[in-house]
Amino acid sequence: MHADRAAARAETPSAATVHSDAAAKWFLISAISYFFIVGIIAITIAAKFVWPELLGTVPYLSYGRLRPLHVNGMLFGWLLAADMGLTFYLLPRLCGVKLWSEKLGLATAALWNVIILGAVVALLGGWNQGLEYAELPLPLDILVVIAWVMFGVNVFGTIASRKYEQMYVSIWYVMGTVLWTAFVYLTGNFAVLFTTGVNQANLNWMYVHNAVGLIFTPVGLALAYYFIPKASNTPLYSHKLSMIGFWSLAFVYVWTGAHHMLHGPISQWLQTIAITFSVMLLIPVWAVVYNFFATMKGQWHQLRENVPLKFLMSGVVFYLLTCFQGPMHSLRSVNAIVSKTDWIPGHAHMAVLGAFSFFAIAGTYYVIPRIYRTKLHSEALANWSFWFIMMGGLGFFVTLWLGGFWQGWQWNNPSIPFIDTVVALKPVWTVRFFSGVLIFCGIVMFGYNIMATAIGARGEARQEA
Amino acid sequence: MLRKADNSATFAVAAALGLFLIGGLLTTVVPPLVDKSWAKPFENHDPAKGPTGKLRPYTEQELHGRAIYVREGCWYCHTQQTRTLLADTKRSGWRGVDSPISTPDEFVYDNPHMFGTKRTGPDLSRVGGKYDTQWHRTHFRNPRDLVPGSVMPPFPWIANNESEFQALVAYLQTLGRAKNWRPDNDYER
Repeated sequence: MHADRAAARAETPSAATVHSDAAAKWFLISAISYFFIVGIIAITIAAKFVWPELLGTVPYLSYGRLRPLHVNGMLFGWLLAADMGLTFYLLPRLCGVKLWSEKLGLATAALWNVIILGAVVALLGGWNQGLEYAELPLPLDILVVIAWVMFGVNVFGTIASRKYEQMYVSIWYVMGTVLWTAFVYLTGNFAVLFTTGVNQANLNWMYVHNAVGLIFTPVGLALAYYFIPKASNTPLYSHKLSMIGFWSLAFVYVWTGAHHMLHGPISQWLQTIAITFSVMLLIPVWAVVYNFFATMKGQWHQLRENVPLKFLMSGVVFYLLTCFQGPMHSLRSVNAIVSKTDWIPGHAHMAVLGAFSFFAIAGTYYVIPRIYRTKLHSEALANWSFWFIMMGGLGFFVTLWLGGFWQGWQWNNPSIPFIDTVVALKPVWTVRFFSGVLIFCGIVMFGYNIMATAIGARGEARQEA
Repeated sequence: MLRKADNSATFAVAAALGLFLIGGLLTTVVPPLVDKSWAKPFENHDPAKGPTGKLRPYTEQELHGRAIYVREGCWYCHTQQTRTLLADTKRSGWRGVDSPISTPDEFVYDNPHMFGTKRTGPDLSRVGGKYDTQWHRTHFRNPRDLVPGSVMPPFPWIANNESEFQALVAYLQTLGRAKNWRPDNDYER
């Protein structure tokens, strides 16, 4: 009964409230632009593995400066911005009210663009804090905090004024994201500055791990919980199961940071704690994934026609796979092989691209026509974008896992000189580059389709006027 | 509890933060209080207890070199940790001598830390003293001149800038040197 009520909530058409969605719109449009621009950087650095001399004499375009721009650009410029835009879309609808303040939302979007453009200048100039995921210099970190507070005020303002008493699971995940991100970000970007050495590394890994686990995971799941029932027009299987997933995530995730330094110079007992909790992650993950699969029971045929649903359910499969890999390569024996190899980027890309970006792309395909009150520019092109990103993604992930495992085995045989293990990986990096090109083509199709929908809708509106 | 969290945002916020902070505090604030070796610089004069030596703070020139290492993102491809794996002690070793494993007390002056997550190039935790200045100059100008098959980018703007180059090499020569692990002190300069 509980589940029915919650699911019905997700299905309630919000006919009574007219949403302006201006903030959602601007976040999404800028996010897609960065997806495209940073995509160019992504294939550039993939190309540098194949042709190391490429752009080699220009300091601003060297690998060491483009890589942080790729990572930060994709994480914050594309994914987090898209997540915030989609949150601004789904939250008011789940609360049955308008967004607390569209103006504040627009200001947040504007500030976010300032941050991303600042990041481009800083990172290309080599102004890098030297901590992974926390490369941005301090002034930009402070702007991020301000933007996040603005986002949080809007989120909690909307929730506080909600019409429906019961909160659908996506709302908890959004609340969790806002709160946890605040602590995780402050730890990773400010607390680290007061420490050195292993202590600093420990805070840094807590941040790195939870940037994915307590920022992109909860907001990504908020999207999945909203868009899977919506896109398939099917009620969520179990509300209770979604609670188990949420509360176990809240407890388990934060303990695992030290698994980034297994076998490294950090206390053994802390490594063991990190491993234990990493394995426990299987609980929240399976609770979530089972719920989504059970929701789709009898509805799988919809995947044939429904592009957002294709992205959503492949994203769920990638989420399951990536969260199975995580606990497994936290085990000391597996870690001894895969740690520091190309397996790791394979794993990371499956989480951020395969799972969470897929959710965000699905959400964007779903909401943009609704925001602009029109039809998607081209369903066929959307389908092509799915297959390009899917095939490119699979090529990317699978070659890096195989290559990474192979590389790890070679490293564990000290009679093989290190340079031979580099040369051995060259075919892997070549496949990765061409897979990246496929992904990029998919991104271009996606971006073009969305922009054409938005611009076309505007054109129509002008004609009618 | 679950039912309550369903309808009360305040309860949900308190519970979500509470659960998060248990793990958050126990894994970040508590460990350095429990394990003192994280903050105490390495010092050992007794050969019976393993390699001898003393960790000293970086000089101004070495810090400058370290800043260049950070700026150019060397740490995206080179780790600085000899892990507790046999293969790591062999690979960080040199001329038939295995390297000692890295311990927290060797990194007390490192800010930002440079442990790294990815080994596209070899680990550098014991690179100090393995190659001389001339080797580094040639290598930074074009790594493939010395190591055919390398995918390291060339860094002509460092090799051609004498003060930056000297600073970076000075920093690299400190890596792993707190522990005197070479027999006969056969370090290159």
